[in-house]
Amino acid sequence: MTEASHVAGISRRGVLGAGAGLGVLAGSGWSGPALAAPGVLRAAITGYNVVNTLDPAAAALIPEFYVIWGLYNGLLKFDSQMQLVPELAESYRVTDDGALEFKLRSGVKFHDGSVLTADDVKFTLERLMDEATRSPNRSKVSALSAIEVPDPLTVRLRTAEPFAPLLTFLTNARTGTQILSRKAVQADPAGYGRKPIGTGAYRLRAWEPGQALKLSLFEDYFIPGRNRIPEIEIPLIAEESSGVTALMGKQIDLTSTAPFADIPTLERRPDIKVLKQPGLNTRFLQLNTRKPPFDDVHFRRAVSLAINRDVLVRIVLFGEGVATPALIPPSLTASYDATPKPLTTFNAERARAELAKSKYGAGTTGAILTWGSGWWKRFGEVVAAQVNQVLGTNLTVEVTEANTVFSRIRAGDYQAGTWGWLGMIDPDEYSYDLLHSSGWRNFAGYANPALDTLLIQARRELDPARRGALYKQSEHLWIEDMPVIPLFCSNVHNLLASNVTGFTQLPYSNFGDQFATMAIG
Amino acid sequence: MRRALRSRTLVVGLGLTLLTLFGVIAGPWITPFSPTEMDFIAVLTPPDMTHWLGTDSFGRDVLSRVLSGGRVSLFISLCGVGIGAVLGVAAGMTAAWRGGMFEVALMAACDLLFAFPSFVLALFMMVVLGFGLHNIIIAVALAYLPIFARLARNLTRTLMHEPFVQAARLMGQGGGRILLREILPNIFPTLLVQASVGLAFGIVMEAGLSFLGLGVQPPMPSLGVILADGREYFTRGPWVLTMTGLVVSVALLGLNLLGDALRDLTDPRLRQAAGP
Amino acid sequence: MAASRRAAVLLLTVLAGAMVVFFAMKAAPGDPALSALGENARPELVAAFRRLHNLDLPVGEQFATWISGALRGDFGRSLTLAGGVPVGQLIAGRLPVTAFIGLYALILAGVISMIVGTVAALSRGTALDTLMTSFAVLGVSMPDFWLGYVLVFFLALNLPIFPSYGFVSPSDSLPGALLSGFLPALAIAAPMAAVFSRVLRAALLEVMHRPYVQVQRSLGLSSSFVFLHTIFRNALIPYVTIIGLQVRYLLGGVVVIERVFGIPGIGSLMVDGAFGRDYPVIQACALTFLVIVLGTNLLVDLLCARLDPKARGR
Repeated sequence: MTEASHVAGISRRGVLGAGAGLGVLAGSGWSGPALAAPGVLRAAITGYNVVNTLDPAAAALIPEFYVIWGLYNGLLKFDSQMQLVPELAESYRVTDDGALEFKLRSGVKFHDGSVLTADDVKFTLERLMDEATRSPNRSKVSALSAIEVPDPLTVRLRTAEPFAPLLTFLTNARTGTQILSRKAVQADPAGYGRKPIGTGAYRLRAWEPGQALKLSLFEDYFIPGRNRIPEIEIPLIAEESSGVTALMGKQIDLTSTAPFADIPTLERRPDIKVLKQPGLNTRFLQLNTRKPPFDDVHFRRAVSLAINRDVLVRIVLFGEGVATPALIPPSLTASYDATPKPLTTFNAERARAELAKSKYGAGTTGAILTWGSGWWKRFGEVVAAQVNQVLGTNLTVEVTEANTVFSRIRAGDYQAGTWGWLGMIDPDEYSYDLLHSSGWRNFAGYANPALDTLLIQARRELDPARRGALYKQSEHLWIEDMPVIPLFCSNVHNLLASNVTGFTQLPYSNFGDQFATMAIG
Repeated sequence: MRRALRSRTLVVGLGLTLLTLFGVIAGPWITPFSPTEMDFIAVLTPPDMTHWLGTDSFGRDVLSRVLSGGRVSLFISLCGVGIGAVLGVAAGMTAAWRGGMFEVALMAACDLLFAFPSFVLALFMMVVLGFGLHNIIIAVALAYLPIFARLARNLTRTLMHEPFVQAARLMGQGGGRILLREILPNIFPTLLVQASVGLAFGIVMEAGLSFLGLGVQPPMPSLGVILADGREYFTRGPWVLTMTGLVVSVALLGLNLLGDALRDLTDPRLRQAAGP
Repeated sequence: MAASRRAAVLLLTVLAGAMVVFFAMKAAPGDPALSALGENARPELVAAFRRLHNLDLPVGEQFATWISGALRGDFGRSLTLAGGVPVGQLIAGRLPVTAFIGLYALILAGVISMIVGTVAALSRGTALDTLMTSFAVLGVSMPDFWLGYVLVFFLALNLPIFPSYGFVSPSDSLPGALLSGFLPALAIAAPMAAVFSRVLRAALLEVMHRPYVQVQRSLGLSSSFVFLHTIFRNALIPYVTIIGLQVRYLLGGVVVIERVFGIPGIGSLMVDGAFGRDYPVIQACALTFLVIVLGTNLLVDLLCARLDPKARGR
């Protein structure tokens, strides 16, 4: 069998699989060796078909990270228990003068054959910090004040003040701090996003925009292993429901997400494995406090009180999640404040009482921005219906597409929108980013000096327990103002064909980082 | 035999079309459920005696939604085809009457529009104008304008030299008057046939655009919106997509049969010209 | 019509179509630079973006640049896909897929309609005729994307011969492409086949009653000879004509069906472009579809000229 036909692709194997079911076609010449060939894993990214860049510094969308995680490594990573463990670093410690020192593994190679040195780490982080890079992930490292390279395998990071989230932000997660090669970036700075060079177990072989990416095994990967899958096909499937169809028809082996509604049916199927757990995310109603009607605190409270979050979980998520009383999700155990809060608990009577105090009444109009055809659209529709039913308002839904929603929210060109990031791994990202007056995702236009002080204090607190307590406390400081309306936290899902093994699911919805341990049985 | 067959087509077509029209117009009074009100207790219940076509993923009665969505889709198609017909016929008849460069230019423009696949043209217009109900109407109108313009121009040309037109001319009637009073009534039946087929296709076009998410926006139901929602939750509630599609097919079958029968009644020569 | 004149008209039409596509898009509200970079993008980035996509030139010059590039297959760069991949490259990669699916659907529709139309015409007036004709009307009444979806769920998932999603490129494996393209092609073909078979039936019936056919029959020529050589041949002209006319409708079906089945063709590219307001992609796709339609029309005309003995004699 030639190389070309060997890597022929996702759908080829799909046809093979289907043919094998019939028993006739499998042996008939053209299809090559049937299911026995463990050559290609077809790992579909579902629910998205946009991957704009594979440069971690430029990456903003979760599908981009899904691929990046397979191509690169971070200094650290999360293990299966969500504990921080060294990855490209061999070890790390806090030096006597307060710097964070990483000893790098020796002999780690990039996909272009060059060897990883401390200089590459310095280059990666400085590039990320540089305003000119315009990285959406800049805030992850903006606390750094100096990066020192005492020898080729040692890096020291200094911050002007203690910055507790730093270690978390250096993992191979949705951080953008994945280490890249100075040489490769400098060879073609403008085109790097399309020609990524990392240290990961897989390297990019082909990229058909809007359609699929193809990775092949990087033979010099620094973690030794045998029988790794030689080729990974990553089809981009815009609709989650099509992803399920493809999996049921054996056209793919793994999905990055799954439609909530289908989970019970899929769990009953013997040919499909469903992995699920509470995810690292909080979904909320983003409000623009500078524009009517959400410029009125009573109206904001009324809306929050009018939403029955349990119904939302049942109808939007088909039960695949939990209602949340505040912004930091339950999976961040140390910082999660479980106390029920009256203002985020459904209470029609109180909602109408708040509306009565507000300068807006029944019949108030407003548009909730949302997108797509799946559950996000549904999310907006159900929220609007619930609020209208309780308050007699006339909220409508404006459905566009995710990029448009984000750019409009960022530009302040909105009244309300369904929003919430998936895969944020530090409490700081749920509180400081969203609610601190200088938080980069504070699109509500919210400012609360007391909260600002507390959140800065939490950033400086290096003791996990004490830090967690500060975040718990912080939730009570803003809830009365209701600048965003926290609603629920959804489960993360992966669907696997029953013969696929070795995928460990993590709550931030990991994906590409598991390819190296996977096998097709 | 042939007459009988023809009239049977007419009866079935007319019957189905009237039934569709009745359901769509009387929908709100004959179904006890609101097409937009969500019932979170009754999400995705299969068809039964209460909900004949089941409920959708928001617990809304599918039959009520299909009837009310059918009204929206029919309205879009009717307006779109109507606008396309009025403008196209006006342009086509004027072109035939005036002749010369005007005719050449107009027909060239029509040919150009006609060379774009109609759905591609609609998709293109949705991007230029933005998604939403009004813009689908414009897109449908634009797809139909060249068809009606060409048809009206050809028909007018064949009639222009008929004695009764010449007579009207000799009697000193103005061009506009002749076109409206003498020619239009004669070509009207043929135009109507084209419109009935166009109406069916306009509905499919709306459904296609909204199915892709480029058309009508929620909570307003339209056939395309209902089908799209049915697809999203197909594994949980296959009846939404299946039943809605069946109802749409039957309604369109009525329109197409009616178009066929009318075509046979008016002018058998047209049988080839009027595709969808 | 002389061939050179015909070619000139064709070229002019393409040019006019390109103008329509280009200037209509220019008239669309919203600034492509801002919609791609975000409303509060920094001015120097917006300027760089405008330079890259030639948006800083006067409109007339923009068009000249675009059209001269388009003639060489260069349609500029995508605003949304893979950080600005050349659109020409996208089109070139996807055109064969769309052409394959379109042709496949056309052939399926042709085969089905040949059988249905001929059987209906030969058994005219019988129950079989009514059945065939009813099927034809029903076929034209079913929205193709709905039919496509139902086909996937009831055929592909219960009878695992056909894949439920994805598409094998014909360059990878022709049998694979034929198998994976069957359901989508069938969904597109169903309404086509319905229209074609009605036309074929009507045309056959009409030709059967022409005087020269009656003469041939009375001369004692075998009825199958008469049918194949005279009736069928003459009936093919309106049949081929209608196929030409329906190509534009077929391509509309291709757009939706490609999306439903996840087939990476021009249609799904255009829908992606529509969602992302990716103007260069949409312009290029619309123009490609235009060229396909015009090309097919030309082909059909040539074919009709060959089929028609009167036209050939001239």
